[in-house]
Order: sequence, then structure tokens, then C-alpha cells
Amino acid sequence: MKELDPLLHSQLRLAVMSILMNVDEADFVFLKEKTEATAGNLSVQLDKLSSAGYISMEKGFVGKKTRTVCQVTEHGRKAFEEYVDALKEYLNL
Amino acid sequence: MDDKKLTPQESMELITSMIQSSKRRVASPDLRISVMWAVLTIITATTAWILLSTTHNPWFNFVWFAIPVIGIPTNIMLASKHREKSRTKTYLDKVSAGLWKCVGYIAIGLTIGCFIAQQCGYPQAWLAMFFYAFIIVGFGAAVSGLLLRENSYIFGGMFSIYSGFALIVCTLCQIPLLYSWVVPLYILCFLLMFIVPAFIISRKTKLEGK
Repeated sequence: MKELDPLLHSQLRLAVMSILMNVDEADFVFLKEKTEATAGNLSVQLDKLSSAGYISMEKGFVGKKTRTVCQVTEHGRKAFEEYVDALKEYLNL
Repeated sequence: MDDKKLTPQESMELITSMIQSSKRRVASPDLRISVMWAVLTIITATTAWILLSTTHNPWFNFVWFAIPVIGIPTNIMLASKHREKSRTKTYLDKVSAGLWKCVGYIAIGLTIGCFIAQQCGYPQAWLAMFFYAFIIVGFGAAVSGLLLRENSYIFGGMFSIYSGFALIVCTLCQIPLLYSWVVPLYILCFLLMFIVPAFIISRKTKLEGK
């Protein structure tokens, strides 16, 4: 049986990846709202996903406010698909 | 939500719930932009139609330039506002934006081509802009309809494409394209391609909201 990717096998990181797989691109505020996480925790988990190359983060400005836009990378997409395949094996789906 | 470890069952449930919560219409077009172009085109066409049929002065054909002159800056302004507001972007949003960029670039290229042709003594080349508006814009509307799964867009686009080909046939058969029927047809096409679908989509969105 395949081992579950430890990076994705965490509640918040998996939630973020699931959202990004669905919408392609989302900003920090949207992710915070959907995951109901604290800004600090979300920021740490996004950095972990970004360091692993699963997502890319682009920081910019909208007016005077900063805006971080996250996007899933090809590597992240593949890792997520493998993770879901492994989950299906575990659950005999 | 925090950093806790999950069981496979919980993981699957979390994936499903996150996909459900971020699910929305396949793409979120900024209807204001397409409606702005349609309204501007309809107003300009009506103005040119009235002025040309009452005065018969060909200089009033310059009224048509109001479309790019007013439309391009307004488009840039509305698009930047939309970017500020929209917090997510799907693949289909990107495809839809790319499609209309292509339609826009074709318009710019054709305008330059027609201008050069006019300088070379062929002012009738501007007729190509009419064919563009019917066929290329119609094709854009039909593809948008496919992306948004909105049949009214597809219908409007197809109607416009057929109208464009009818105009080409008329030109080839040397049937004069008179302002008296070409401009009303042009206005009807823009109503069917953009105004009617925008009205239907906003009504559906309101109902979904309820």
C-alpha cells in the first residue's frame, strides 16, 4: 500500500490544496475564509507547501493593500492526485 | 482548522467539503465589461445610423471610432476593478479572458489594415469591420456560451455568425448592404449576443443566491 504524503496529510494543508485544485488560483483572504484558519497558521502552512514546490505564491498590491495569490504547481497537482489515489487504496474505493 | 493529522476517511471528507465550499459557476465573467461593449456598440450604431440616414454625410462614419476610443479605456478601468474584487480565478476564467483578448487583438489588427487600405484608395475595406463584428465577435460569444454553459450566448453567437455570412453572400452577389437593414441587424445581434445572456445570467445568479 502506498504511503500517504505527510505534507498533504494534515488538515489545513490538505484543505488549501483541495481548494486550489478546484479554483486554480485564490488569494490569501479567500483561503483564510474557506479554511477558517488563523492568518498566522495559514501563512506557515502556505510557506511549507510553497517550499515543497506544491504551490506558487505571488505577492502584489491592490491599491495600497498587499495581496498574496496562490496557485497550485504541476508538481503539487501530481502530488495531490497521487495522494487521492493512495487514499482510495486505503478506503478500498 | 489547524495542523492536525487526519485519518484517510477524514481526509476524503475534507477534500469533498472543500471542493463543495469553493464550488461556483464554472467561470465568473465580469458581465459589466461585455454589457459595456454591447451598449456602447448599440448606441454608436444607432447614432451613426440616424446621422448617416438623415444627412447622407459620409464624414459621420467617423462616429464608429467612438467604439474603440471610449471602449478601450473603459474596459481597462472595469477590468482593473474586477481584478481587485475577484479573489479566485479558475482555468475557465483564464481561457475566457484569453479568448476575448484574441478577439480584441483581431479588431486592432483589422482596424490598422482597413486604415492602410483606405490610404491606398480603398475606403470600402472598412466593410471588413462589419464582417468582423458579426463573425469573429459572434464566434467569441458562442465559445463563451460553451465555457459558461449558457445557451443564450451560444444562440446569440450563432445568430450573429449566420448574419455575417449572409452579409458576405450579399456582397458576393452584389446585393447592396443598405444601412436601413444592416445596422438594425447589427444592433439585434449585439442584443442577442450580450444583453440577453447577461440578463439571463444575472437572473440565474440571483436565483442561485436565494
